Amino acid sequence: METIALTINGIRINCPAGNRLLEAAEKNGIPIPHLCSHPSLHPVGACRLCLVEDEKTGRLMAACVTPAAQDMQILTHTPRIERHRRNIVRLMMAEHPESCIVCNKGNRCELRGVAARLGIGATNLYPMPNYKQMEQANPFIVIDLSKCILCGKCIRADHELVGAGAIDFYMRGFKSRPATLHDLPLEQSNCTFCGTCISMCPTGALSLKGDYAGTPERIAPSVCGFCGVGCSLSLGMAGEKIVEVNPDKKSNTVNGATLCVRGHFAMDFLNSNDRLAQPLVRENGNLIPLSWDKALDLVVRRLFEIKATNGSQSIAFIGSSKCSNEENYLFQKIARVFLKTNNIDNGGYLFGRQLLSMVEKRTDKGGRFNFFAGSLSGIEKAEVIMVIGADPCHTIPVASYYLKRAAAKGIPILLIEPQHTELSKDARIMLNPIPGSDLALINALSALLCRRGSSENSFIERFTRGFGSYSQSLNALDLNQAACDSGLSLDDIEKAADLLAGKKITFMTGRGISRQRQGGKIMDALLNLAMMTGSIGYAGAGFHITAAESNMVGSWDMGTVPDALPGRRLLCEEETQKEWEAVWGVELSLKPGLNMLQMIEAAEKGLLKAVYIMGENPLRALQEPERVRKAFERIPFIVCQDILQTETTAAAHIVLPGAAVAEKEGTFTNMEGRLQQFLPAILPPGDSRSDFDILSALYQKMSGSPHPLFLSDIREEISRVLPMHTGNTQSSHLVWIKDFAQKNEARADISGSSIEPKFSDVFPFKRDTPDSEYPFTVLLGSDRYHLGSGTRTSRSYRIATFENSAKIKPKQRAQSPHSLKYPDACGGELQISLADAKRLALKDGDAVRLTSKWGAISRAVRIQKRLSQGLVYVPGAYNHNDARCLIPLTPLFSEESSGWNYCRVKMEKI
Amino acid sequence: MDQQEIDWAKLTEIINAHRDDKWGLIPMLQKVQEKFGYIPPEAIAPVAEALQLHPSQVQGVISFYAGFTMKPKGRCVLKVCRGTACHVKGSRSILRAMKKNLNLEEGETSADYQFTLETVACLGACFLAPTMLVNHDYYGRLTPNKINSIVGIYRKDQSDG
Ligand code: SF4
Ligand code: SF4
Ligand code: SF4
Ligand code: FES
Ligand code: FES
Repeated sequence: METIALTINGIRINCPAGNRLLEAAEKNGIPIPHLCSHPSLHPVGACRLCLVEDEKTGRLMAACVTPAAQDMQILTHTPRIERHRRNIVRLMMAEHPESCIVCNKGNRCELRGVAARLGIGATNLYPMPNYKQMEQANPFIVIDLSKCILCGKCIRADHELVGAGAIDFYMRGFKSRPATLHDLPLEQSNCTFCGTCISMCPTGALSLKGDYAGTPERIAPSVCGFCGVGCSLSLGMAGEKIVEVNPDKKSNTVNGATLCVRGHFAMDFLNSNDRLAQPLVRENGNLIPLSWDKALDLVVRRLFEIKATNGSQSIAFIGSSKCSNEENYLFQKIARVFLKTNNIDNGGYLFGRQLLSMVEKRTDKGGRFNFFAGSLSGIEKAEVIMVIGADPCHTIPVASYYLKRAAAKGIPILLIEPQHTELSKDARIMLNPIPGSDLALINALSALLCRRGSSENSFIERFTRGFGSYSQSLNALDLNQAACDSGLSLDDIEKAADLLAGKKITFMTGRGISRQRQGGKIMDALLNLAMMTGSIGYAGAGFHITAAESNMVGSWDMGTVPDALPGRRLLCEEETQKEWEAVWGVELSLKPGLNMLQMIEAAEKGLLKAVYIMGENPLRALQEPERVRKAFERIPFIVCQDILQTETTAAAHIVLPGAAVAEKEGTFTNMEGRLQQFLPAILPPGDSRSDFDILSALYQKMSGSPHPLFLSDIREEISRVLPMHTGNTQSSHLVWIKDFAQKNEARADISGSSIEPKFSDVFPFKRDTPDSEYPFTVLLGSDRYHLGSGTRTSRSYRIATFENSAKIKPKQRAQSPHSLKYPDACGGELQISLADAKRLALKDGDAVRLTSKWGAISRAVRIQKRLSQGLVYVPGAYNHNDARCLIPLTPLFSEESSGWNYCRVKMEKI
Repeated sequence: MDQQEIDWAKLTEIINAHRDDKWGLIPMLQKVQEKFGYIPPEAIAPVAEALQLHPSQVQGVISFYAGFTMKPKGRCVLKVCRGTACHVKGSRSILRAMKKNLNLEEGETSADYQFTLETVACLGACFLAPTMLVNHDYYGRLTPNKINSIVGIYRKDQSDG
């Protein structure tokens, strides 16, 4: 890159061409005050505080917008500039209200900071506060535009970083201010409450709503514990309470300056009254407190007894896709080494881990790198993006911002979803196939590309096998039939093929595929498409698989799964067995254990005598709740380690209180494969302990060792035996990040062709036979206000308040039949099409009952103009996650179910 | 204010005519205002979608320019000049007379959408001060009496149909 040399305050400096003066100066340690510029936003030069002087001409210019030029001579702090700066700030202060002392921004107000540094105490100007109405109806954001200095950062963040477009300047002159469309409250705009704007706002105009006002007492970095994006956070604390969350300012984080509503606002679930604070034991039906020592002794004694009388097969362990790598590793080690069982699973089961594991077996012999796209930043460099079976705007919001920014840069997105989603407006082409017909559609797309010779032949020859027979079967495919099966016109599919032709594809896919009965075949078809187009192994290309939970990837890596040891080493290989027997010094069984569903089945048969659950809530998450509850009643000994009272702790015999992410040390592996360390920011409540401490105490008791086991010991062990964790041994007060996705060895296959994936067969698509008794198809989804089954998010005061305010009250409905003022279905309503609404004479807010073969739920409806007739969208997590009642608890691939995403229902007005 | 149902066909026609223009926003908004007399708030979303802008951005542009309005205006828009020259020549009493005559405050539109009363800073015809503009016609050397007869003409217009 070309460099430019210039002089600032007499010092000769160099900077890359294209840098603005402000950037160049700051990088060289010359601070210039500024309020409206931010490294991740386009500069606009609104506040004029960054004025600098050209030594040669005496011209004043705004450093944030002026590009550095060769041999410029710049002065940044002459008396003249200082005078101007002071006047600018004085004018801002004169317009400011007097509520500074109680401002939520407290000492982090940048205006205050600038004023202090410029030595402005009193403005000596006639105060002319520009009072504007304060808005604080929503439970997330307080807007006090009297304090707005019109820097426009909130607006640019909203447009450029998160792509929501909820706000822009409105009116001009003295009346000018940021506002939503039609100047409505935020909750009636398309604001997603990501809170990015409030972290950006230099003053108290936008701030976090809560019961604490002012500057937090201390600040500590952390990682968000909700979804698999793994955003870096900066937590603000008062005492042992988190009173504020902001995106961490350090560089190269996944989220940059953004967050989503969960990470930013739902952390208040930590203060819920439902937090567990002491070990409990069930006596005469009631849970009563007891000491840690007694509780752990009891656990150890009972587990060993059960193992001795009923055998290892009668014991199961459920680890957690929300607990750390170290915890999951130790958890499965305890299960395998001391209890000799492979009956280990984690919540990832419900997100279709099975299917992903099939994909890995086909491509990587059990590794996780080769086909995965790694760093999300590749999305913004992609040639074309295909989003299929994923609703990233809701499940992994911060990752969806990458897609929105890519679209804004002109990178085409092909969106394949049965229904309109929030991403639709960013998609170049959207296809809405009939639910479950993705296979027909992908086959058709591949066939079209193959027939027009748009295959990457050099890649195919060098790295793959079996293209010949694959292309033959593609050529034999009946395109009209495929179009008809997927309910689309061939014309539209052709247009999508045009979009993909000749480009490397970046895929994003998620539970829409991984929870489908035909999901395996669909993934195969997608992999074929990826191989044919050479979309693997290049920066930006490959697969992004949405990870719904913070450590879904890591818990799998650490082996809390029935069929693999840590490092995703499949159990069936003898080599693996030998290796791990040597590591742990015990004999291991090669027989895969029970997965989550098989555990329930075993419990139903009375075969399961003990289950140890860490950080999962199967009684809220699993389908057929009644059946699962009965199965749990048959388990004589249930240990549940959690942070909250849950449906599952209520069924447990021993409850052990653990700690949340912000309260403990550990690492997560996010959906990119990025390993992120976190340290405790606050103490866990009462007597509760970090999950690692609990497990390590158990380990010590079980092993009878005199030495306690420390986190560093396990970290050291993991990093010794798992190449993907090499180097993760230190424990520092900084968050330590290792971005594996950017390491070259992850791509060994590409440079060295060490694996040769084979094109799989083109599976023909079989259409489900329609059932006239159940005329509607339910699409199960999730929305951004909740995570998974909602155990934690429903305990967030802010989220619960929002949900309540969004729910339609009967009284309101009486006043106006169309009283749904919120554009989002944040009250948990199900969505129906306009045509169905007319046919069934349903209005917004009417209650209906949905009945499937497996269960029934009642909800209010919301009419969604863009939904196709016959589809019903149901967001999960609401009402104790009752939506799960509609789908069967059958193996994902079993013929009698249509998978875990769709089901057929009938609908009646109630 | 009565929410009148807007003519969507007319709107779509305008949008389609300009959707591929470079910098199409302002011309599109001008056309909309020309056809409808104002920019119906309902028009913002479709305009934004056609130009791939955020609706809030479009609203920002509309509300920035004094020339755009999102409120329907009366058949006759009366702009009383409140510039310096007119002020000296007594435009304050002209405005007062006008308010009384029309029973409207500044910026208001009559319930029957016949009259809108506005003020401007200078009509550029100071030699005729005090002045006013009714739609495209200038009136100068105004007196409160003259006002009543001018308004009368426009009222009469209306009754003539
Ligand atoms: S909270 Fe997020 S979506 Fe809402 S206005 Fe702020 S930046 Fe935009
Ligand atoms: S609300 Fe804050 S960020 Fe937005 S323009 Fe005003 S001062 Fe700037
Ligand atoms: S995107 Fe995921 S990790 Fe990031 S803040 Fe939201 S919930 Fe947390
Ligand atoms: S920082 Fe340059 S004008 Fe605001
Ligand atoms: S001041 Fe009224 S026309 Fe100039």
